[in-house]
Amino acid sequence: MNPKYRRLIIIVFITLTLGLATKLILMALEENIIYFFTPNEIKVKYGNKQDIQKKIRVGGLVLENSVIKKDGTTKFNITDRSHQIEVLFDGPLPDLFREGQGIVVEGMFQNNKLIASQVLAKHDENYMPPEVADALIKNGVWQGEKK
Amino acid sequence: MIPEIGHILLILTFVASILQVLFWCFNIKKSDDITINVLIKSTFINFVFILFSFGILVYSFIISDFSLVIVSDNSHTLKPLIYKISGTWGNHEGSLMLWILILSFFTFLVSRKKHQIPYKLLSSIIGIQTIILCLFLSFILFTSNPFERLNVLPIDGNGLNPLLQDPGLALHPPLLYFGYVGLSVSFSFAVGALITGEINKEWARQMRPWITIAWSALTIGIALGSWWAYYELGWGGWWFWDPVENASFMPWLIATALLHSVRILEVRFILINWTILLSILGFSFSLLGTFIVRSGLLTSVHAFASDPSRGLFILIILGIATGGPLILYATKTSLFKEDKSQFNIISKESALLINNLFLTTAAATVLIGTLYPLFLDAFNGNKISIGPAYYNATFAPIMAPVILLMAIAPFLSWGIKKPNKIAKKLIFLSVITFLGGLGLFMIDESSLFSIICGSLAIWLLTGVIVDLTFQIKATNLRLNSFKAIFLYFSKNNLGVHIAHMGVAVFLVGVTGEQFYKTEFNIKKNVGDIINVGNKSLIFDKVETLPGPNYKSETATFTLLKNKKIIDVLKPEKRFYPIEKSQTTEAAILSDFWGDTYLVLGDGNKETGWSIRVYFNPLISWIWGGAGFMALGGLVSILQSRKSRKKLKNAI
Repeated sequence: MNPKYRRLIIIVFITLTLGLATKLILMALEENIIYFFTPNEIKVKYGNKQDIQKKIRVGGLVLENSVIKKDGTTKFNITDRSHQIEVLFDGPLPDLFREGQGIVVEGMFQNNKLIASQVLAKHDENYMPPEVADALIKNGVWQGEKK
Repeated sequence: MIPEIGHILLILTFVASILQVLFWCFNIKKSDDITINVLIKSTFINFVFILFSFGILVYSFIISDFSLVIVSDNSHTLKPLIYKISGTWGNHEGSLMLWILILSFFTFLVSRKKHQIPYKLLSSIIGIQTIILCLFLSFILFTSNPFERLNVLPIDGNGLNPLLQDPGLALHPPLLYFGYVGLSVSFSFAVGALITGEINKEWARQMRPWITIAWSALTIGIALGSWWAYYELGWGGWWFWDPVENASFMPWLIATALLHSVRILEVRFILINWTILLSILGFSFSLLGTFIVRSGLLTSVHAFASDPSRGLFILIILGIATGGPLILYATKTSLFKEDKSQFNIISKESALLINNLFLTTAAATVLIGTLYPLFLDAFNGNKISIGPAYYNATFAPIMAPVILLMAIAPFLSWGIKKPNKIAKKLIFLSVITFLGGLGLFMIDESSLFSIICGSLAIWLLTGVIVDLTFQIKATNLRLNSFKAIFLYFSKNNLGVHIAHMGVAVFLVGVTGEQFYKTEFNIKKNVGDIINVGNKSLIFDKVETLPGPNYKSETATFTLLKNKKIIDVLKPEKRFYPIEKSQTTEAAILSDFWGDTYLVLGDGNKETGWSIRVYFNPLISWIWGGAGFMALGGLVSILQSRKSRKKLKNAI
């Protein structure tokens, strides 16, 4: 086969694959992005939480004295020290979940409560998710090292 | 005094390696015995110095020398010895020490190939490796000195994060780094070829074992990490498409592509530029992985406290190590002339080429998914995360054709010399896959994806078996003794078949775990019984037990299948008083057909305990498959060594 023809086939093939991949990526990005908010942002952007029909992530601290465990369901408030949101979760909590700890909750709103499908706390007790740290800095309540 | 020696050794190595790089730069055109011997000797000295320095660090951890910052931050006198040692690389500074130790070790190994690699190429390889070593040494010395002392001596250390006190995770970083850093060798081969302007089939043949060993180590490293996440985190899952996981998976995908393209180059002498590009990208992705893990820029479920200023330094190293070679690549590649004589669309090389394309595209989708949140944040301040759904929609469909071709590629022959007789094999393969798919349809007709995924696994597994049996039949060999079988297989590309079978086994595991698992939460008290299908769990008791450096709350469950006692499971919650933290130890009963996985949640005698139950069918096949892949890599290295020896003897 002559080299020109060969090169043409290869180029056409590469273009097709990349085109297909780009299409897949764009479609997937559109559908599967999960936005991250702090409790305050939710209050400012959506006064009524019912308006958020999508799965979202909320980051903040577990409010002190707000954790109530009953029948395998945990109820607690997540706060950025300016606003708070009630969270319900019926799964096993991560080991590093405790009051005052920075966490990220993933879930959807129902009756103004966040029904969590996942609660993420990190492997390291000193670790603060960057989004949570940013939110705390914004509200002037950051107590860790300066970023 | 001893830690200072370690520090001084590092400084000496830094100075020596700068001198070595300068020496190489001034003698870049020379390829005489003296030049090469100077480079080889100084490489050896670098390795020995770093080895001693690393040894001193390990020693400081063993004797719990709390005057060192990283020892007091990450160790404790009561910690078991193995975790004192593994604690050396369980932190930022120590893990970088491990990085440069492996780097200098690999450089030392390559430098011993004086009789196989042409002097000009070898001196360039050593030069490039030493530049990388310099960059990382400066990183360590200027931002992350492991030998930093404390002014006030603490009574005891802070201990190591309990999640890291685990045999799987003691081995995970060394193997992963072995893979990451191993890719630096093929990187240096590629840059060396660009500098010398010479490339041939022998170059590819010399480079291939290095890629294979790095790839095998990376495979095992990633599998260990995934296994650790599975049994230690208590989430029941094995892969979360988390940035830190992706960081190790991207170099793996590129290395897999490289492994195949270098083979094409070795046999057919085409795809020179592509192979060089992949070699450069492979190591760039390793550095990117290090950057992602160390910078803390991305939210990860596996994140540990990290320092952004250090991230910047790695970003600079990444820029130098990728930018420089890419500029060289852009200016030099027109030098290389390929063998353009023959090309057949239906040939092994075109199948491998197409898979190369898909693999790199797959790596690109992972890269976009990993970095897109970062870009969006910088662009408009929106914070987002991208979860498994994105990868299921992009990565999975791109990998499906890879699996399809993977089964067929070994049937095909190189070039156009031999006609390809594959019809018989293909028919055989299709029929068996169809029957398998039908079987899966009968089990569960509702889930299309489980049928596709399972059929792909059957397709690949059958492909490997069909190829082997047809080959054996064709040779008319009587494989009636172990020796005959061994001799037969050592002549053929057994490594490839083992590795491909590993992928098939892995896919079987993925199908079982993704589509047929059961998981639920339940609140139960002592004496209760949980019934699931033909299995039941009896909740026997909960007791408080002491451990070496923790206290444990241990529950006991008896597992029954068809009313017969199978085994006893003991999920635990451990409390580490020194680290003031708690871990969950899932109880896992593993067998060939699947795992029973129990997690003990919060609770007490009055209210009962919350318990999470998982039945994960075939999940151990996932790690078994990874094991086979790595084994395939090792076998192919041994085979090529053996055939080379035979060649030598024949001459």
